[in-house]
Amino acid sequence: MTRVLSRPAEVAAPPVEPARRRRRRVTVRAVVLYGLLLPGGLLFASVFVYAVLSALKPADEVLSTHWWPSRFVWSNFKLPFSTVPFARYYVNSVVVGVVVTLLNVVTCTLAGYSFSKFAYRGRTLLYLIVLATMMIPLEVIYVPLYALVFKLHWVNTFSGLIVPAGTSAFGILLMRQSIDGLPDEILDAARLDGAGETRILWRIVAPMMTAPMAALALVVFMTTWDSHLWPLLVGNDDNHKTLPVGLAAMQADNAGATGIPMLMAAAVMAVLPTLLLFCLLQKRFVEGITMSADIR
Amino acid sequence: MSTLAIRATTHRKLIGAAFAVPALALFGLFAIYPMVRVFYISLFDYDLTSSPRWVGFNNYEFLWHSEQFHQSLEATGFYLLFTYVPAVLLALLLAIGLDTKLPGSGFIRLLYFAPVAMSWVAISVIWRLLFQPDGLLNRVLGTHTTWLTSTKSAEWALVIASVWKETGLFLILFLAGLSKIPRDLREAASLDGAGPLRSFRYVTLPLLKPMTAVVCVMAVIRGCQSFSPQVVLTGGSFNTEVVNLYVYKTAFENARMGRASAVAVLLFFALLMVTMLQLRLFRSDDR
Repeated sequence: MTRVLSRPAEVAAPPVEPARRRRRRVTVRAVVLYGLLLPGGLLFASVFVYAVLSALKPADEVLSTHWWPSRFVWSNFKLPFSTVPFARYYVNSVVVGVVVTLLNVVTCTLAGYSFSKFAYRGRTLLYLIVLATMMIPLEVIYVPLYALVFKLHWVNTFSGLIVPAGTSAFGILLMRQSIDGLPDEILDAARLDGAGETRILWRIVAPMMTAPMAALALVVFMTTWDSHLWPLLVGNDDNHKTLPVGLAAMQADNAGATGIPMLMAAAVMAVLPTLLLFCLLQKRFVEGITMSADIR
Repeated sequence: MSTLAIRATTHRKLIGAAFAVPALALFGLFAIYPMVRVFYISLFDYDLTSSPRWVGFNNYEFLWHSEQFHQSLEATGFYLLFTYVPAVLLALLLAIGLDTKLPGSGFIRLLYFAPVAMSWVAISVIWRLLFQPDGLLNRVLGTHTTWLTSTKSAEWALVIASVWKETGLFLILFLAGLSKIPRDLREAASLDGAGPLRSFRYVTLPLLKPMTAVVCVMAVIRGCQSFSPQVVLTGGSFNTEVVNLYVYKTAFENARMGRASAVAVLLFFALLMVTMLQLRLFRSDDR
């Protein structure tokens, strides 16, 4: 009897409880967010802000306690261009980044389409081989890879910088998974209308795959922009140095304090394209990075 | 099926297979062939210009006794442990705090994400300034540490810069993992009377497990690949010559391609084992 009576009371209680608790939780969250994570984030960002400010300081102020320059020396940003072929490094990085990205989008879309929609013999085996290459990082193979590129006479050429990075297992997996979601009926209908396979790919598949292609492009571009070890090996003359290689060399040549404003200006300029892309396309970037992780 | 239709499908399959050729050709030449070669070259003494000389397992034997190689393993171990364990834990904590839609949270996320979009060499050049004896870090901390030019602190300097750089990446991944956990699941837990700690321990953390596995594998692989911060910040001096830098110097400064390949082979098996082990550990008690 008591049991039966106590039930309704228990049922009646919760609606009041969680509402209060939820409100309290929101307050806790807000305190943590604005009181802890915001200052922490500003601390994180301050490293970059400090670099920007240092790039604008007169040379004798870079190691002073003041964050703020006594006067803004915008001409520091010209120094990298006048002391080393910085413009050349920049153009090289852009060219290599853009071409590698385009190559990846093309080869990965083609291969992804092939593995997704055509039932030829050996397809599964080939796909497994592609999967297996994900386990081969550049760090393991770069010695023989360099020997190969050396034999091809590709050292200090753009081919050497670009072609070996022309496709990626992650990209193929990503495109295959995305194209798997396309209904076969659409493709069959186009075939009945007499469209050739290349035309179908170009006119139907590719336009529907712009989202994964963009995610792939962003990840590949960012990785290429960052890449240091391979360009250091195959692009070590001034005509083929990319930004990371050039920047590291500038650092080595200007260890003293006088070189600091120039180095900071160069570093800030080197970071700018990917940083801007990231801020503008944050959602796409996050998608790309997450997808590259999910695929593992 | 008429012969015509059969011919049409065969034709289609051929074209379909042809679409995979560019990617496969690139893989064959620039990934699979070097992978096979790295095993082969590791058995030779090879300096790129003269013809390779067979030495059997001498390269491996040399590494077994090499002080410098052991030191590079130690340096990698130190870097891996003290960079990636804190970075992953910090990322997890930040993710829990930032997994909210309160106004301004997007901006705060961006502050932590930003280092992800910056290249390793550029951020190393920037950190070099902070690590100067009379640089910002010493001034803020009130210390007089010679960060980049003494044995104990150089390793820590690399760790500090790298934690700053890498946390954002893992944060992105953890946030993505959290966003896939249905909110009502956590709310159900709190309705059942579970406090925030308990619901984190028993609801969020188990559901975050697949992403945690991925993050751990990525962390180890990235740690073993580290190269640029060592090159720019210390040049490998003061116990910071990590394995990858050791391979680079062995192959391209001392022209010992065979010996460098032997290290690469060992690195490959180490990475393979770690990946397998972690995936198994994290998957086994899922079911």
